[in-house]
Amino acid sequence: MEQVPAKNEMASHSPAWNIITSYNGPKVRIMEVCGTHTHEIFRLGIRHILPPAIELISGPGCPVCVTPVSFIDEALLLALEHHVTLCTFGDLVRVPGTKMNLADARSSGANIRIVYTPLDAYLYAKNNPEQQTVFLSVGFETTVPAACLAVKKAYADGLTNFSLLTANKTMKNAYRALKRSANAFLYPGHVNAITGTALCESLTQEGISGVITGFTANELLTALAVILTKTKEGRPFFYNCYPRVVTQDGSKTAQSLIAEIMEPCASEWRGLGIIPQSGLKLQPIYKGFDARLRFHLPALTGRSDPACRCGDVLQGKCKPTDCKIFGNRCRPEHPIGACMVSNEGACSAYYQYGGNL
Amino acid sequence: MCVGLAARVLNIKNGIALVDASGAKREISAELLDELDPGDYVMVHAGIAIAKITNDDKAETDAIMEAL
Ligand code: SF4
Repeated sequence: MEQVPAKNEMASHSPAWNIITSYNGPKVRIMEVCGTHTHEIFRLGIRHILPPAIELISGPGCPVCVTPVSFIDEALLLALEHHVTLCTFGDLVRVPGTKMNLADARSSGANIRIVYTPLDAYLYAKNNPEQQTVFLSVGFETTVPAACLAVKKAYADGLTNFSLLTANKTMKNAYRALKRSANAFLYPGHVNAITGTALCESLTQEGISGVITGFTANELLTALAVILTKTKEGRPFFYNCYPRVVTQDGSKTAQSLIAEIMEPCASEWRGLGIIPQSGLKLQPIYKGFDARLRFHLPALTGRSDPACRCGDVLQGKCKPTDCKIFGNRCRPEHPIGACMVSNEGACSAYYQYGGNL
Repeated sequence: MCVGLAARVLNIKNGIALVDASGAKREISAELLDELDPGDYVMVHAGIAIAKITNDDKAETDAIMEAL
């Protein structure tokens, strides 16, 4: 399983490379908030060049991973008892609910369709007016605009057979909740493409440091070098290392679309519990598109496998390899926890790339 | 599900852009971006273009390291 580091993609002996490999300062804990960062860092072999004083830990930035078990249970209820058509991103299908996952439900006859975008779910509802269609709306600021666009179009068309089961999340209060987990965050660049830089810039006043970064070898090495250099200065810092995608203002159009369709609410994160004002739900005017209200869903309390340590993994409290069932009972082809399901999950990254670092 | 794709716009009509993401062609919504032209690069998430980007990470990171 061990991968050969993709060194050819890395500018070895570039200034950033030299800063990282010659680092001999105090221990620095850096949290990769975004699951795609975790995977790219593994794939590129960046962990192989880090001195022992630099510790990379995984964070809560995979939407599939942070979605709680109760959300899957709600989706199962909609599919099996209300007989709706569920439209979902593919990863969610294999996330275990309390008793089964959505793939099991499909084998029992539930109508579950994998979509690439919420707009496909809206089109399916429009073309199948006799069928109640529910989109499983997970994801952060990057994905929310597409879900909002789908609701806006459904509203304009007067659709009465389309709704969202929402578990959308926003990052700012999660950074606050994880403040003590790391010395600095690698902020997820694409969230900031929507929100702009102000969101993370303002966190320095609360003692939270980090840099926004992209996903190429150059960008990741540069971000790590900036963190090491700024950490030495001893003050909370912020740096935008991804200016080709992230601007100060972000996307005003996306921000106003989100504000028009959704409003902040408390939200449950797997492992982190309920974080105030960290979720999004539909604005009152669009509540006709809220699947929980349309189908009068009861409040559910999901239960994960007692051995699963996803909650600790998502907070950087343990490594996936510290979980007793990692690689034996829990594997990508048979995931026990959400972090082993998605390609962005930390457990799946550790499994895929050898789990030895 | 959260993976963003950098893609090149091939053509654009009525808010729908045909893009090329590393050889895979796909139609996406371009409703969030104004003034998009063929040849531009965009970041795509969940079927919509979320930002117009430049495709050169080298110039970007060189400038950051120089400023450091
Ligand atoms: S290895 Fe599996 S069971 Fe263990 S924490 Fe990761 S996802 Fe959960």
